[in-house]
Amino acid sequence: MKPRILLAIFVIPLGLIIAAVPENKTHAFKLSAEQLLEETNAGIQYYSPEEIADLIIKKDPSIQLIDVRNVDEYSKFSLPGAINIPLTTILEEDWEGYLNQDVKINVFYSNGTLNSDKAWMITRQLGYENNYVLMGGLNYWVETIMNPESPSSTSSDEEFAKYDFRKGAGMALGGGAVISNEKKAGTAPIIPALKSKSKKKRVQGGC
Amino acid sequence: MGPLIAYDLITGSTNLLFAFLIGIGFGFVLESAGFSSSRKLVGVFYGYDTVVLKVFFTAGITGMLGLLFFSLFGWIDLDLIYINPTFLYSTLFGGVLMGAGFIIGGFCPGTSICAASIGKIDAIFFVLGIYIGVNIFNEIYPLVEGFYKAKFLGSPKLSDFLGISDGIMALVMIAMAIFAFWLGEIFEKKKKPVIY
Repeated sequence: MKPRILLAIFVIPLGLIIAAVPENKTHAFKLSAEQLLEETNAGIQYYSPEEIADLIIKKDPSIQLIDVRNVDEYSKFSLPGAINIPLTTILEEDWEGYLNQDVKINVFYSNGTLNSDKAWMITRQLGYENNYVLMGGLNYWVETIMNPESPSSTSSDEEFAKYDFRKGAGMALGGGAVISNEKKAGTAPIIPALKSKSKKKRVQGGC
Repeated sequence: MGPLIAYDLITGSTNLLFAFLIGIGFGFVLESAGFSSSRKLVGVFYGYDTVVLKVFFTAGITGMLGLLFFSLFGWIDLDLIYINPTFLYSTLFGGVLMGAGFIIGGFCPGTSICAASIGKIDAIFFVLGIYIGVNIFNEIYPLVEGFYKAKFLGSPKLSDFLGISDGIMALVMIAMAIFAFWLGEIFEKKKKPVIY
């Protein structure tokens, strides 16, 4: 048999297979330093407080708030529906199901953005999708949603519309937005649920 | 998992060691395939010996299929493979110049080293020529920089350019290769055999 024919017998079926199968687009590995810098600079990870407030009020099931502060801070107050994944424990296996999924939009928040950005960078580096950061953190949240500053009378209509929205959102979430877990003595306590190894239980605790 | 160097699985020095071993293998195969003979090499331009076409096209499709299947199995991330950036005008000009040099000198850069290492005098002069040419280019680089860097296209792939998937592109390349080999053999039959 001619080498050409022999070669054709081998490579044509392989070519047909590779043409028929979908391309492998999974990149389960890490980003290069340049890519990460680019993404960080572009700020693609941020959700504004208004967007989050809107989603919370609409009770959008696709959003999952994740509090990356420590357990004490979380138990003092948290945003509605938030679960607690302290930054120091973020690499624990238990959390992987929450962080590495393609159903919900995870939004990290901390007091500022430093710790939530850290959480985002770690998960991004692990190749997880659907993780975001609440812009400005809780401090900015309180500033904009809970106590919005009324714009000066010369401000544009847009500014007023924004203010009206923030005020409305603040009222809708009023008090509830910054939940004091101490008051909810009767409801499922969050701290014990955290210690539990059962993922299911943790969800119940968080919600 | 791969490329090994991009994932820090091996160091730069280990990478060089691999390159060294693969280089030895490459040189060995070139020499045993008769690629240190300039008559055999230029045969592809005159149509009496298309082994150059066959070997390099076969190597191309083997590497292509290997990479695509590795990617399919998740063994390598194709996005991390370095692709030479394309500067259109210098690529075209360089291609013509290289082709002309290939016909006149009888070697391409790799095979010239291969032939020089077994002591072919023409190849030694060829390598010397490469050395002089590289130095001339270095010296006049400021003058030609504009042309050298003109029409930068990034690192485009033919499949992106044509808007088809890599797999279909691979199948097209394979079909082209088989067709080219068949055409080459027809030419070879028409020419008188050359003894070298």
